[in-house]
Amino acid sequence: MNDIRAELAAILLNRQLPCGGWAALSCSSQPVLEPTALSFLALGSEFNPAARNRARQFLLDSQNLNGSWPAFLGDDQEGSWVTSLVLIALRDIVEDTPVRLRGFAWLSDSVGKESNWVWKWKFRTTDRHVQFDPDKFGWPWLPDTNSWVVPTASAILAIRGLPCTCGIETITSRLQLGAEMLLDRVCPGGGWNAGNGVVYGVPLVPHPDDTAMALLALTLQTQEPAVRISIEWLERAAPVLVAPWSLAWSILALAAHGRSVSPLVDTLLHLPELDQIEDTSTLALVLLAFDSARGLAAFGVSA
Amino acid sequence: MTITRRDLLVGAAAVTAGAAVSLPCLMPRYHFVRRPRLSHVAILHVDEYSERIEEILFRGLQLFHIDVRGRVVVLKPNLVDYIPGQAINTHPLLVMAAAECFRRLGARGIVVAEGPGHQRDTQLVLLESSYHQRLRERQIRFVDLNRDELVRTSLRASYTDLTHLYLPRTVLEADFLVSMPKVKAHHWSGVTLSMKNMFGVVPGSKYGWPKNILHWRGIQESILDICATVPVNFVIADAILAMEGNGPLNGTPRPLCSLVLSDDPVAADATCAKLMGFDPDRITHIREASKFLGNSSDECIEHRGETLRKPQTPFQVVPEFEFLRAA
Repeated sequence: MNDIRAELAAILLNRQLPCGGWAALSCSSQPVLEPTALSFLALGSEFNPAARNRARQFLLDSQNLNGSWPAFLGDDQEGSWVTSLVLIALRDIVEDTPVRLRGFAWLSDSVGKESNWVWKWKFRTTDRHVQFDPDKFGWPWLPDTNSWVVPTASAILAIRGLPCTCGIETITSRLQLGAEMLLDRVCPGGGWNAGNGVVYGVPLVPHPDDTAMALLALTLQTQEPAVRISIEWLERAAPVLVAPWSLAWSILALAAHGRSVSPLVDTLLHLPELDQIEDTSTLALVLLAFDSARGLAAFGVSA
Repeated sequence: MTITRRDLLVGAAAVTAGAAVSLPCLMPRYHFVRRPRLSHVAILHVDEYSERIEEILFRGLQLFHIDVRGRVVVLKPNLVDYIPGQAINTHPLLVMAAAECFRRLGARGIVVAEGPGHQRDTQLVLLESSYHQRLRERQIRFVDLNRDELVRTSLRASYTDLTHLYLPRTVLEADFLVSMPKVKAHHWSGVTLSMKNMFGVVPGSKYGWPKNILHWRGIQESILDICATVPVNFVIADAILAMEGNGPLNGTPRPLCSLVLSDDPVAADATCAKLMGFDPDRITHIREASKFLGNSSDECIEHRGETLRKPQTPFQVVPEFEFLRAA
């Protein structure tokens, strides 16, 4: 285990770009914030402090003027959901608190478009094909769009790392509302699809990674029936997963809810060609899942 | 609750937008005309997915004057998600056959490229839909368009009010781009064919999963802006086993036993629509695209394969799109 972990960490380090960030794919040189934040979390301080410092500086330098973070270097300045991931990555760095507070202020203003009363009215009256409660909204992938599961789960995890409301009045209510949105949008048999559970009267099929991220965000809601059936769904789905991204997220989520994940970690360890994973975010996540306690700590989740 | 003046304006705009949806027509917002004088379409009969597809497809491609010698061909299938038993995705056997055919025609390189719209785990979709193994066996490169390098690209039409999109370098730099849709009814857009298939080039890493901004800016409008900006050189549409009803994910498989080939995506989509029993002129993006991107009228389309036969029973659609059915 330690050998492969060290090998994958070395590959990840090797992919770091001169600017300190990471690209989405191994063949690319365009710095992207999601793989950078996940690599930063995965590498921890024990691997290479110098590389980590360069990554931290890249994260700080790429913040938008409005406090958000772009999806990639060169992106428009409006901000994106990866703001949450960067806030998670910088969670334990005390001297970066002012930077993070600007990020949290942006995050507290970022809402799914369905939260506007006009669209609430539309979704309640003329547009009932997607079954959800528009009063329960979370965070979008990018401004001016609906709330979806992954950005909402990421925002909840980020906000949980905020030690106080820090003058951001709405943050507590947003946290509550975000959790309610996730619970509202669960698939009928448990688990989460990208954003809705039922469309045109048909239950959607859950996605393991979306489900896992929602469950990570809902570790304080373990008594909710939606959470319980979703854990059960993920427990059934995870053992047959052969894709490292979904399996790694599943390991973290099930560990967060106190399930034994040793067999799943073993499966992950023996997936073929881990050292040839092109997608940098996946590589980072596999590293986090190998040591789930450390992985959960990186996301600020306690098992 | 405070209702601001801005909210009232947004409300008025929403009502107007709703009316526009029920009366499917758009104001022309194109700035060039790329429509050829004559387009070519071939319908090929294929009973089932088998290794025989390659020969049928190769013979079909020879009906066109395609020159891909020394060029990099990018095949863009429709890979949305994987649900066992559902005809959601372009069948991998067809994509592999297309790759082999273009190699035989002298292509310098073949790339299969897609950015699944619902599922973030692209590798999971590739593995479960058996693309992964087949691509590997044939040493065909796959590019995840959701995570490819992005280039700021000005839109070449303005049906949406987006001035630009960030689009994947692999698609923008393709020498020859082939749209390979799965022929399906679609609950938001009526149909999903070669032009709607181009939603897959819009990267999730920037726009999310699904690419919700395109829904908010108008699906028909977004199709037009994307197809105006990213020209499709050729279409190979998988209508061997199509989907009717509540597509793109939860419809019912419907065999059409056909491949539709064309050098014009508008002509391809108009033909597919007729195969589904729809009137292409009632499909907003096909009708509008026929003004500047390609041909949909019979007199401008030369059929080189089998005769186009409308089905005895049109495809099932969700109630909002019943009007698509041909009279």
